[in-house]
Amino acid sequence: MNTFLERYSSTNAVSQLKRAQRLAEEEDEFTDSAWGSQAGYGQLMNGPPSFTVPNVPDPSSFLRLHTDDHADPNCRIKIQHGTTTLAFRFQGGVIVAVDSRATAGSYIASGTVKKVIEINPYLLGTMAGGAADCQYWETYLGMHCRLHELRNRERISVSAASKYLSNLVYSYKGMGLSMGTMICGWDKTGPAIFYVDSDGTRLKGDLFSVGSGSTFAYGVLDQGYRWDLTDAEAQELGRRSIYAAGHRDAFSGNTCNLYHVKENGWEFIANYDISKLHYDGPGDVAGSPGHGYGYGIRVQGRSSANPPEATAAA
Amino acid sequence: MPGMVSMTQPIQQSFNPYTENGGTILAIAGADFTVIAGDTRQSEGYSIQTRYAPKVFRLTDKAVLAVNGFAADGNMFVKKVRQRLEWYRHAHAKDMPIRAIARLIQTMLYARRFFPYYVYNILGGIEEDGTGAVYSFDPVGSYEREACRAAGAAQSLVQPFLDNQIYFKNQTPAAGTAFPKHLPLSTVLPLVIDSFTSATERHIEVGDGLEIYVVLARNSTALAGLQSLRGVQEVTGTNDGERVFVIRRDLKKD
Amino acid sequence: METSFAITGKGYVLMAADTTAARSIVKMKTDEDKIKTLSPHLLMAYSGEPGDTVQFAEYVERNIRLYQIRNVYALRPAAAASWIRRSLAESLRSRKPYSVNLLLGGYDTSSYNPQLFWIDYLGTMTEVPFAAHGYGAYFALSLLDRYHDPSASLEEGLDTLRRCIDEVSKRLVVTPGKYKVKIVDKDGVREIEL
Repeated sequence: MNTFLERYSSTNAVSQLKRAQRLAEEEDEFTDSAWGSQAGYGQLMNGPPSFTVPNVPDPSSFLRLHTDDHADPNCRIKIQHGTTTLAFRFQGGVIVAVDSRATAGSYIASGTVKKVIEINPYLLGTMAGGAADCQYWETYLGMHCRLHELRNRERISVSAASKYLSNLVYSYKGMGLSMGTMICGWDKTGPAIFYVDSDGTRLKGDLFSVGSGSTFAYGVLDQGYRWDLTDAEAQELGRRSIYAAGHRDAFSGNTCNLYHVKENGWEFIANYDISKLHYDGPGDVAGSPGHGYGYGIRVQGRSSANPPEATAAA
Repeated sequence: MPGMVSMTQPIQQSFNPYTENGGTILAIAGADFTVIAGDTRQSEGYSIQTRYAPKVFRLTDKAVLAVNGFAADGNMFVKKVRQRLEWYRHAHAKDMPIRAIARLIQTMLYARRFFPYYVYNILGGIEEDGTGAVYSFDPVGSYEREACRAAGAAQSLVQPFLDNQIYFKNQTPAAGTAFPKHLPLSTVLPLVIDSFTSATERHIEVGDGLEIYVVLARNSTALAGLQSLRGVQEVTGTNDGERVFVIRRDLKKD
Repeated sequence: METSFAITGKGYVLMAADTTAARSIVKMKTDEDKIKTLSPHLLMAYSGEPGDTVQFAEYVERNIRLYQIRNVYALRPAAAASWIRRSLAESLRSRKPYSVNLLLGGYDTSSYNPQLFWIDYLGTMTEVPFAAHGYGAYFALSLLDRYHDPSASLEEGLDTLRRCIDEVSKRLVVTPGKYKVKIVDKDGVREIEL
């Protein structure tokens, strides 16, 4: 077999897929790994897995025709969209907060989605865009991070892990992958966040928010953000920002999942019901304001009326 | 001559290998059992193609898969999953655990990311620790473990009902009481049947027949109540301890 | 991108609107006043389809003035808002509707209440404690949910307004640049330098 030659031949997306198609046909003959328990990831050592593509001149426009629910709300295959995710770096590590709503058109397909993907005990990825794209490729990334550990006897840096992912999705550019993710972790350089999306963009930064509700989250996050936030303040800011997005963006909501990445890896803080945050607040936790986040609750009893003194007396 | 134009112009044929065959599926996990159900009507547009086309399939004694969407894709997909499970049995002399089947289904669906199977899958069964499990998938393989899930044509009719009756959404427990974490099979089965009779009343693509698979964990307490049920049939294949039953019911056929 | 904000506080309404008049990708003017004074205690910020905006704003301005000349007293904010909304709604059902979004802020000298109305080009109207139009709304609304205080002093109100403007400058791709800020309270209408 000339797989070695093929692997290093063309890198253009369509011809790459044509090649993948040939490989998939070969896989129908079934390699040894298919017999074992290694499932679809069994070919990990043979480079990225292969994909079936339709036999049409332009496979990506075929996919778009059947899946793009922005252009055509009646198209058959609805890929889940709509999200708010955020992550920020501060003195005490990284805070990662996300909502849990998945929508297909205007239907709420799920209110319990795990949008934080636990890549391994010290790396987190967030999920915005195609749920399957994020879940699959970040799981795949996790396996390669483990291989890196075995080969190099040290943990992969956040920078290297995110670059691996961005190079991977970049090789599928134009094929219709949709992901906007933040790779968060703590390595030798300290806390780190990288934003990676399916365009191939990769940005290092202190503060990111991704998804349809991101503008609303930024509104609260930017104004409350400081590097020297305490752990309690930072967790409260993450919660409050996701609440803000859940409150203002119809495609975000249900619950908020909060994570805190520290030197020894990430820690899951809690899951908060966004309606409960509105009426009762986060409850008896560090940083809690002690009442609901809702505007009406926060400003209860305060008024803009300003009668002159004389009238007030009368 | 407007007809002349189309004679001279090249015609762009669009490749559309998909259709929608209606029907609804659902699954509910209990403490030591799982119920997976689907109606048996298969339709295209306003025409009924058949009144008996199963959408729920026994994979192993601890896993049952329900498939909804495009029937041709669904049947092919189940066939391929079963093939992989058989190979696993040959290689390891045991059935694949359900959480591994879930991951297998993810990779099989995602392998078709650029030419998707138009199917919504719900996988139900018993986990290695003996608990009931439901995994639900989107067409390209994103998945999540849940306690209950409805999919298909009447998803938007059935799921809110399940949210209310299984998760007790928008209900407040009476003072001094709490909602049960898991419901017994004797509560779940009537909920499933009511979901489908109601969906049949209000959705044109749902009806004809109902197949309910029940997967019981080893020494499940639900066994006694199940065997006395009308029309129950055991379809267990091994002596591993988990047992699979199917209950068939008629739904309205108009 | 056109953006306008308004917030109520203790006895006042603050309004801010950007001052750019853009055509395609070119800024034609950077000191355009998009907040009209309709009566001694009434302000209106307008944005939307170029041409429609000024036409409609002037039409409203003159009719509100006419009412005051005929009846000595000006319309109270809620009444003015009602009339303006209806004009927009009728225009919407005409052959050539006005595409104009409005923020109407007034001080009711009879009840001593500052009032703010959010009105869009479809004739949707709602009375709110704070409001925004344009892309800035996507950032400012959540911010105001968090920071707005209906009993805020003028200084506190201006701080909150500054937060909105800073946030939009920070995050919006096409920053509107300078803003004109006006206030209406018991003493009438004034312009404020931020």
